[in-house]
Amino acid sequence: MSGRPYRLPESAAQGSRIDRSKTVSFSFDGKNLTGFAGDTVASAVLASGRKVFGRSFKYHRPRGVIGLGSEEMNALVAVGEAGRKEPNLRATQVELYNGLVATSQNRWPSLEFDVGIVNNYLSRLFPSGFYYKTFMWPRSFWESVYEPIIRNAAGLGEAAREHDPDTYEQMHVHVDVLVVGGGVAGIAAAEAAAASGKRVMLADENAVLGGVADISVGSIDGKPQGDWVKAKAAQFAKAGNVHVLTRTTVVGHYHHNYVLAAERVADHEPSLLDKGAPRHRLWKIRAGQVIVASGALERPIAFANNDRPGIMMASATRGIVDRYATAPGMNGVIFTNNDDAYLTALKLHEAGVGVARIIDVRANASSELAEAARKAGLQVQTGAAIAGIETSGGGKEITGVKVAPYSKSRGRVVNEEKVACDFVAVSGGFNPVVHLWCHNAGKLKFDETIQSFRPDRHNDPIMVAGAANGTFDLAGCLEEGYATGEAAAKAVGGKTGKLTKAAAPGGGAGSVEAIWFAPATGKYNEGNKHFIDFQNDVTAADLELAQREGYESVEHTKRYTTLGMATDQGKTSNINGLGVISDATGKKIPEIGTTTFRPPYTPYSFGSIAGTKKGELFLPVRRTSIYDWHIARGATWEPVGQWRRAYCYPTGGENKKDAINREILAVRNKVGLLDASTLGKIEIKGPDAGKFLDLVYTNVFSSLKVGKCRYGLMMNEMGFLMDDGVTVRLGEDHFLMHTTSGGADRIAQWLEEWLQTEWTTLKVFVTPVTEQWAQFAIAGPKARKVLQKLDGDIDFSEDAFEFMSYREGTLAGYPVRVFRISFSGELSYEIATPSNFGRGLWDTLMEAGASEGIEPYGTEALHVLRAEKGFIVIGDETDGTVTPYDVNMGWAVSKKKEDFIGKRSLSQSFLASEGRKQLVGLETKDPNDVLPDGAYAVAEVKPQPPMKMIGQVTSSYWSPTLERSIAMALIEGGLSKMGETVSFPLEGGKVVEAKIVSPVFLDPEGKRQDV
Amino acid sequence: MSDPVFNSALAHAADHDGAKDLSIAMREISDRGMIDLRGEASSSKFKQAAKSVLGLDLPVKPRTSVSKGNITVFWLSVDQWLINCPRGGHHKLLADLTKALDGMHSLAVDVSDMRAIIRLEGEHVREVLMKGSSIDFTLPEYKAGLVRRLVFAEIAALVHIVSDKPDTVDIYVFRSYADYTWKWLKATAKPGAVIGLFSKAD
Amino acid sequence: MLIVHCPVCGVEGDETDFHCGGQAHIRRPASHDPHNITDEEQRDYLFMRFNPKGLHFERWRCDRGCGKWFHAARDTASLEFKGYYGITELPPKELQAQATGQWAEFFKARAAETGATRPAKKAAKTSAKKASKK
Repeated sequence: MSGRPYRLPESAAQGSRIDRSKTVSFSFDGKNLTGFAGDTVASAVLASGRKVFGRSFKYHRPRGVIGLGSEEMNALVAVGEAGRKEPNLRATQVELYNGLVATSQNRWPSLEFDVGIVNNYLSRLFPSGFYYKTFMWPRSFWESVYEPIIRNAAGLGEAAREHDPDTYEQMHVHVDVLVVGGGVAGIAAAEAAAASGKRVMLADENAVLGGVADISVGSIDGKPQGDWVKAKAAQFAKAGNVHVLTRTTVVGHYHHNYVLAAERVADHEPSLLDKGAPRHRLWKIRAGQVIVASGALERPIAFANNDRPGIMMASATRGIVDRYATAPGMNGVIFTNNDDAYLTALKLHEAGVGVARIIDVRANASSELAEAARKAGLQVQTGAAIAGIETSGGGKEITGVKVAPYSKSRGRVVNEEKVACDFVAVSGGFNPVVHLWCHNAGKLKFDETIQSFRPDRHNDPIMVAGAANGTFDLAGCLEEGYATGEAAAKAVGGKTGKLTKAAAPGGGAGSVEAIWFAPATGKYNEGNKHFIDFQNDVTAADLELAQREGYESVEHTKRYTTLGMATDQGKTSNINGLGVISDATGKKIPEIGTTTFRPPYTPYSFGSIAGTKKGELFLPVRRTSIYDWHIARGATWEPVGQWRRAYCYPTGGENKKDAINREILAVRNKVGLLDASTLGKIEIKGPDAGKFLDLVYTNVFSSLKVGKCRYGLMMNEMGFLMDDGVTVRLGEDHFLMHTTSGGADRIAQWLEEWLQTEWTTLKVFVTPVTEQWAQFAIAGPKARKVLQKLDGDIDFSEDAFEFMSYREGTLAGYPVRVFRISFSGELSYEIATPSNFGRGLWDTLMEAGASEGIEPYGTEALHVLRAEKGFIVIGDETDGTVTPYDVNMGWAVSKKKEDFIGKRSLSQSFLASEGRKQLVGLETKDPNDVLPDGAYAVAEVKPQPPMKMIGQVTSSYWSPTLERSIAMALIEGGLSKMGETVSFPLEGGKVVEAKIVSPVFLDPEGKRQDV
Repeated sequence: MSDPVFNSALAHAADHDGAKDLSIAMREISDRGMIDLRGEASSSKFKQAAKSVLGLDLPVKPRTSVSKGNITVFWLSVDQWLINCPRGGHHKLLADLTKALDGMHSLAVDVSDMRAIIRLEGEHVREVLMKGSSIDFTLPEYKAGLVRRLVFAEIAALVHIVSDKPDTVDIYVFRSYADYTWKWLKATAKPGAVIGLFSKAD
Repeated sequence: MLIVHCPVCGVEGDETDFHCGGQAHIRRPASHDPHNITDEEQRDYLFMRFNPKGLHFERWRCDRGCGKWFHAARDTASLEFKGYYGITELPPKELQAQATGQWAEFFKARAAETGATRPAKKAAKTSAKKASKK
């Protein structure tokens, strides 16, 4: 073959993954291209003759494809348009479909000409730690100048700004054995585990099983590895106890064998979305045993300018040839320190691609593969290394490599030879993929044979098999797969099943010689970048600099240089980085240790993390039985926990303020109706119920008469207020407690906790019944009149049904519980009916009240009404550090009771001391000034802070009743400052002065409610 | 005077009698009455009194239920049961229970309107449940009669396996969450989202 | 995401189905003698907690199951649950014997008291490995 494009001619020997009868159209950076069904974006774009896929993170150097799958760190692309655009996808993993739109990233204005490349020429100004060193001064420049520029210039892809139209979901599954990775070892492990009858899940990130079996040396049972893989995949599909997940990356391993796996359900076939398929599915897997068979990744070699497009990993090179019939060029150089790369040379040769030379750093290469290469007429040069790359077109095209003799510790390159080529296939040995092993604190050990880390100890029920364990030969992978599969099944109680084990000839892993740095021509580190972490643009020189500057701990080096960060998580860079540090410090790699591999192994979408939680399912919303009525009436909402409560009901062009004022005046002058269904309701019964309530409330309840209501205050053990509400005595040993809306669940659990853990001998049952009841407050001077219009068996007359008492009966045919209590200070009844009758009763009350001018009122009117009366709201007047005495409610704290929750803490010195903030009312000097909530009172107003703060506004409203502003505040020693003026400096320089008054602004005698 | 107007938790959903185009059959059940019963399982007097009204022994094995006639009793805790009976009949049942349990440490409360019930039917029910819950509904113990409280789609729920093979499962949620649960189920039980967990290829 | 087992109803599930109530066996001074509690005693009761690396004793609630509180012994380093016992009980003897540091002193002191709470006879124990499930 000659010239571009690089698609190889049709042949049985290559193109195993593509179907040449199906042409697929797609675009890359706006250019329409075609590929074949089965292609990836990487293979199809390469086949079209393009080598540059993106620009690098920091220096904006042109970058091409380097890997074959999820390890790819250069060729990151965005796929999709508008809301469907997903950035930072590895082109090597993105399967082609008709109409796919891919764009390159991190380039401006275009991939071919990038302005940021200037960073490359200025790179001596950008050493490691550059940002830390340079942008620290002046400080104010960071936010306004430096950060925006850095953010624009650096970084990966951009997220979509539009709404994502697709759905995502999550799935929980429990399996006996989870096998991670569907290569030879993983398949053998899954087969062995499944033979026991136990449930086995096999997850693999690729579209088909097999790992790299199709491009590796050796046969299984005398046949190509691929045949065995296909047979096993068919066997699994028929087995009821094996579930295979493809296109699914196991991204994290957590406590007690909790595993997260991200499945790309419809990325390869968007038509599935129309049928309701989620785009991605996040699997939450709980596994009895986990077998990590995640394989190994080839590592690059750090030679000068080793990041040029056209330099690929050796295994990836033969992968794109074999699978996609795509060549990276016409004439390549192989650079290796091990035997495996010889297979790539042979494959290229077989496919008709030129192999200019095999350069092997080892002094000797005499393996079977090496001999086969020599026999095929390929030139093998041992004891040599690449000293430089020659390029044209601004580094975008390789024209040749410089080769120099190499042996460890020889130092500066002196004599070199040029070899013409247009691509380079590199192999620096293989690193077991140990990421998952490490996520939950698994330990590693350094293995000299493979010059890499492999799994050691782990606390969890987890095993490792095959290349992930540093076992690189086929026979060994099969053997470990079967062994771990059997052991895992046994550990979860499986029986020994029938298993016919396949066999492979032994040997073949070959030798490897460590090379962490191939010296370059010319002055050391001049114009030559030896990339270690391609994604973060970290070079060998950066790591050496970090050592010289004293970042001795590998964890510090990582943070200083960004080695192994970002989406790559050190997949290809980790060991090489440690090798360079080792050379620089003279320490051995095991002494240096390794940084922590963190989840996720590869990035997965926010969509899959959110799952169904978007749009109207973003948060569970709780509806009262009146919800639809509120909507029809134009209510605006106030979220109270997950509840939606009607805030106010603007009508006829009113704004919220007008609506609130109208609602307040309706209650004060006529009658209003409030949906109070969200109030917590708890039934408490038992011979010790009264005694128990005396322990949980600050005041006494055992003395309450049957049929009567009492307001109660609740503290925590620290003496701080946590809830309040009215409790009713339904019977001698039976109470109904009301809590705040927010406290409903919490208080029921609080009561249970004390009964179960502290007062275990008290005979009391607690049953929360909040949602059984719809509950409304009907309040206002005409409330009684409205109720009396309705049929029923309850006498609402003043004498028959007195304040703070309770009746049960029927009202207009509805079963009701009625409490004559008031949070507004008006004549008021709270009426409860079973929730399914709520809407019916509400409509009935609105209808009956129409002639009296009844109006619904929302939570804001409720708050103003209570503030006019000086009633506190837990959470407004209290913030978790406020005692009953602080809010002037010492009257509700029993002096007689020996013990109740929080009692002892109230006498702790710091709570009993003078000068604590106390609740007072505020009248602003200008009655039209409404103080902002939370405004600070200061001892003395100064032109600028700091000023001594002596308190803060807890509630502040416009009172339409009093036609002035009212506020409550916690002020240091406030009760002794009645009549004094305090100042509130506001944002913008305005100072509001207010007089300290009683917080009860309206009807201090309580005449209005007692009629 | 007209009869009181009854609105079930999902009455506002047009398809609450049967949602269409899903991988499962789904509808609201609103004709059940419920009573929450607390008592001391160690007291034979208590258990006997309950039996005298309900006509059955209270289940004492965790996560089980006992049925007789049109009454089913769910085990909720070591001292708590949920009595499920025809709506309307619960008033008398509650009155009878209260009378029979008089003088014993116990608490029986009408909770008929506290929860909404959504009935799920079909071969994909368990898979849909496992999209919203970390519980393994494929375990052999998850068979007809099982009752279990759980976190489902982020909220508190209770599941009752009414029958298996084919599966009929009732999911109980607090009434205020009925609308959210209904929408969650409709969004999740899409035919195109069926996984076929551990199902054999034909 | 830990797997927690409830010794009361036997349910096993994700830790999000449970609620951890912090350190176990804290004595509330006011429940014993409400009249004679020093500020220091009250402070220790409210705020002072053990923080061992290794075996720890905690209160847990079966939040989405039977709703009952129970005790659990958990290794804070390996995160392994070593056993479960009743909310009114002290740990079984074999777990007390494994306690170190402050916990070892605590159990020694409790054993010396008259009318001390009795240890549980034996701990409920299940493993995350689900060996017994099928």
